[in-house]
Amino acid sequence: MTLRISDLVNAEASLVSRRCWSDPDVYALEKRGIFGRSWLFLGHESQISNPGDFVQAYMAETPIILSRGTDARIYANVNSCTHRGLPVCRADHGNTKRFICPYHNWSYSVEGDLVAIPQEGALCNKPDKAQLGLKRVSRVESWRGLVFGCFDEQIEPLESYLGDMRFYLDAFLDRFAGGIEFLGAPHRWVINANWKLPVENQLGDVNHGAFLHSAIIPREAQDLIEELGLSVVPRPGHGATFRLMPEDSPVDDMAWGMEGLGGMFGGDEVQEYLREIQAQAASRVGDIRARMKGLTYGIYPNLSFLWSNTSFKVSHPRGPGKVEYWSWAVVPADAPDHIKKILRTNYSSFFGPGGILEQEDSEVWIQQFQGSNIDYADDRPYYYGLGLGEEKVHPELPGLVSVTANEFYARHFYARWRDELQAVEDT
Amino acid sequence: MSELSLQTTPEQQRALERFYHYEARLLDARQYQQWLTLVSPDIRYLMPSRVNVMVDNRQRGKESMISVERELEGEDSLGCPIREESYLHLMVRVERAFKINSWSENPPARTRRIVGNVELMAQEGDALSVLSNFHLYYARPGNADCIYSGQRRDLLVPAEQGYSISRREVVMDYANIEVPTLGLLL
Ligand code: FES
Ligand SMILES: [Fe+2]
Repeated sequence: MTLRISDLVNAEASLVSRRCWSDPDVYALEKRGIFGRSWLFLGHESQISNPGDFVQAYMAETPIILSRGTDARIYANVNSCTHRGLPVCRADHGNTKRFICPYHNWSYSVEGDLVAIPQEGALCNKPDKAQLGLKRVSRVESWRGLVFGCFDEQIEPLESYLGDMRFYLDAFLDRFAGGIEFLGAPHRWVINANWKLPVENQLGDVNHGAFLHSAIIPREAQDLIEELGLSVVPRPGHGATFRLMPEDSPVDDMAWGMEGLGGMFGGDEVQEYLREIQAQAASRVGDIRARMKGLTYGIYPNLSFLWSNTSFKVSHPRGPGKVEYWSWAVVPADAPDHIKKILRTNYSSFFGPGGILEQEDSEVWIQQFQGSNIDYADDRPYYYGLGLGEEKVHPELPGLVSVTANEFYARHFYARWRDELQAVEDT
Repeated sequence: MSELSLQTTPEQQRALERFYHYEARLLDARQYQQWLTLVSPDIRYLMPSRVNVMVDNRQRGKESMISVERELEGEDSLGCPIREESYLHLMVRVERAFKINSWSENPPARTRRIVGNVELMAQEGDALSVLSNFHLYYARPGNADCIYSGQRRDLLVPAEQGYSISRREVVMDYANIEVPTLGLLL
């Protein structure tokens, strides 16, 4: 029996088969149909501000070096030597002139060009080095400092790929005159789960807060979130959830950063700093976006941004049953160092591998993968029908909008996922 | 720290070990509320992140080239430590453990830790700078068992139950984080 993608996700994507999570054939298709053809997040320009700077990244399972060339342009190359395939870069980040392969010392420039073959002096036939550089990622583009790469030459420009998601991203990114900064190397957390569940969780699953996290999040706090909360799908596959604060809300209720432990207990200076950002918000991003207090964001296929605990995350698949979940704390780039150090705890206190809250999430992601392997229940697909058809257009907000209990963000994700896999399943 | 530990009296060494063994027993017995009484209200509880850094060519041949310190993104760095916590964080963690809906520990993990290599490195007034190592066996229902390994860099001050922990930095031995959580009381 051959597996057909149309059997896995129904027309309105309200039923999703367990096999979507567990089947190795589905994963093989995902690598081609999704990770081979989407814009994938590589890093932020703040990580590679000087010529010679580099960071490591992944596009699904493919290791990538993201670097700033001596010409100040951004390069993304596969971290694998053209001679026998070893990684030529081992550090998480740094600054270098050359990447030197350990095996036979072929050396590559920071742009990825092959510059030296030590063996060639002893030989008559000189290889054409111009043909032997590291394999380039076909397309690299950045928007607001976020750098993405795509293996598919034909992909639409990044800006149109993001579409109206830019409106929601800018509500955060454009709040800061100096832009944002990613702090340090990512936390790399290996979780025995399928890559899509962390994504779905951050795409719009606000409602699990009151239940899964009830040991930490009081019901009243969650009620407040859900009362003001909106879920938006600006384009299928992307999603944004946030609270739209009433116009007369006190600045402390509205300001980004105040609700994390760093903001709450970091002292007057930090709070003043956050109020100052909020005071500028309306003039920078407009009235309605100044009142947006974000929760979770997702950018198709596997980038997440958690506004409330200011962190970017990437769910890198390592087969159907394993992810390397990367996360970074993010702060305003021009904040004084001591304030950055306080604000990063808005992330690390609750999220990341040491966070108080996210240990519950990672646990359920693992258990969901185990559940998805129960083949006896193959005829019992997961129910994604909550709120079916209840999303609407909104006079001021682009995309489809609904309450946070509506699972339309996930239906749109799996519908796009299904269509993209169907496009490659017979090729 | 490359120097030898301080010359201690057998009594002082014994007192430190007695304290750490007691602490380990409380944690393995899940008596977290009692554990919290060993912690000073102004504690800094830290866990640096551990990263793969470039070898600095100028350091070639020197021990500093491959020092552990170079791999740590700690509280003074502009990277992102895994944990930078106060008494409040620890209190929330302890309270959480006694709620039936702290799902990732329901049923709770079974742990057993061995604390050793206790070295008194410095003494300033009352405050003792103490290093110790630990191995912790961790078995959580529904998951593969795993081992936590690390070093603790403590600042202890004498107190009723031996000492009170006023600062703890836990340096974990990991490349990728392969354990279910680094949020344990270590
Ligand atoms: S494998 Fe890289 S130089 Fe031979
Ligand atoms: Fe969660």
